[in-house]
Amino acid sequence: MNLAELQQYFARAATSGIGPLPDLARVFLGTPRLSAADRLGIYNRGYYLRLLEALSSVFSQTQRVLGDAEFERLGLAYVAQHPSEHPAIERVGRSFSEYLRSVAAPPVVVDLAALEWARLCALVAANPENIAQVDSIEPQRFPEARLRFVRSLQCLELDPWALTLLADADRSNIDLGESRSALPHCGVAVWRARHAVEHLSLGAEEWHALRLAIARNELSRVCTAFDTGSADTDVRRAFQVLSGWFARNWLESIDYDET
Amino acid sequence: MHRTADPQQTLSGPARTQPGALACVGFGLRVPHYDAILTHGLRADFAEAISENFMGRGGRAFDVLERVRADVPIALHGVSLSIGGMDLLSESYLSELAELARRIAAFSVSDHLCFGTFGGHYAHDLWPLPYTEEALAHVVSRVQQVQDRLGRRLLLENVSSYVEYRASVLTEWEFVSEVATRADAGLLLDLNNVFVSAANHGFSAETYLRALPPARVQQIHLAGHSDTGSYLFDDHGSAVPDAIWRLYEQSLELFGAVPTIVEWDERLPELSALEAEATHARQLSNAQLGVQRRHAP
Repeated sequence: MNLAELQQYFARAATSGIGPLPDLARVFLGTPRLSAADRLGIYNRGYYLRLLEALSSVFSQTQRVLGDAEFERLGLAYVAQHPSEHPAIERVGRSFSEYLRSVAAPPVVVDLAALEWARLCALVAANPENIAQVDSIEPQRFPEARLRFVRSLQCLELDPWALTLLADADRSNIDLGESRSALPHCGVAVWRARHAVEHLSLGAEEWHALRLAIARNELSRVCTAFDTGSADTDVRRAFQVLSGWFARNWLESIDYDET
Repeated sequence: MHRTADPQQTLSGPARTQPGALACVGFGLRVPHYDAILTHGLRADFAEAISENFMGRGGRAFDVLERVRADVPIALHGVSLSIGGMDLLSESYLSELAELARRIAAFSVSDHLCFGTFGGHYAHDLWPLPYTEEALAHVVSRVQQVQDRLGRRLLLENVSSYVEYRASVLTEWEFVSEVATRADAGLLLDLNNVFVSAANHGFSAETYLRALPPARVQQIHLAGHSDTGSYLFDDHGSAVPDAIWRLYEQSLELFGAVPTIVEWDERLPELSALEAEATHARQLSNAQLGVQRRHAP
């Protein structure tokens, strides 16, 4: 075997979920005390345990809701299908919520996992180069301005129950089948305020405006989200929402040119 | 382009403690210690940061690094470069690493002499290489690429291992020495890894140390391991054991008082426990420096 073949063989042995490969002893040395299969088993166990630990550290509340045994079963199946694609290990969970959806996990668990993933992304996001201040607004050009948001800001739509589950960190034995009145999904913003990650459930009009702004629409277009037909009310509401974005330090810059 | 340089120097400055100077001992930054570090600072001569925990990141990790950097130099230590892997070296990874090293004026940049990628995926493990001529040429070429990209010498750490390839034609110490010499790289000598591999494969740790080119050894790692009964496991989960301290004393005689890091990952104790380990390493290192001074011309 050449180097590439040896590495492929090692990787298959170390990541296989179906036990030792044939011919291990022809490729690796063993001893009476520890066979080649036993030795590769150390790497195989380490591979799965390490990735499962990484999932557990990111999705701790999802794990609490699912229970340890179910989380381990789903986590191991997930990492077998979705090996890490990022040099930082915690990023292995990039598709975990989608995976949970694909295996018909309870929808609120899918949403909780998506929320925890968004919180990780907010936690590790690069710092903004700048925080836009209200006094940087150019009143005459403001309607044509486009907003650039800080990189920690994450937006997702989810079952509000997922927010409750996240907040209920001490509660165990959660009955995912418990009856409750169905609530419509809500827009949630997740961001980092200095070192802490925060989240906020947004009203429908603010959620709509935020999506328009993130898509780099001009502010005049963004403010159509507040259009109720009453100019006074609309302006007051738009002012209130935009003030909130400034106050939460969500804005990296106010851009007056398309570039 | 392949740079050649005085092995006593990194391309960005001196890496070895010079005779007459004080010992240089530190420990690795770990998340559970961040609050203590942000509050009290770090009592060490330098600190080691896992590169991937800080590359492209902001928030608390960024602030911790800035706080530590204000007090002591920082050595960057990577785990995902996969210098021996067959996948192409990641340009985005190298770009982020170069930017981080520049931003914090890193004291040194190191990673492991192993492979950890397969088919575009990351193993997040330090898989051993076969010690063949083909692997040697492959690794040397990639180390040179990385050094050219970073504009500085790379330090390579020997890994602990649990298995050997039948295809190997060199001993581990021959392979490590040849890579460092041919690629003009430095060595980060992990004494716990030498000890663990020596026990698992039945070779002499002392033979390993004596075979290394002394001028290439530019940093040392100290750590603990566990004994499973069938093999030694490199878990960094306990104090540095006496056997590793003895190897450290031998290494100080062979390589001089090189900068030394105490590592601890599993069952992490209070910061004060790491400071106590570092203090002991500093005492041994300073004693060696006293010997060096007495023998200086």
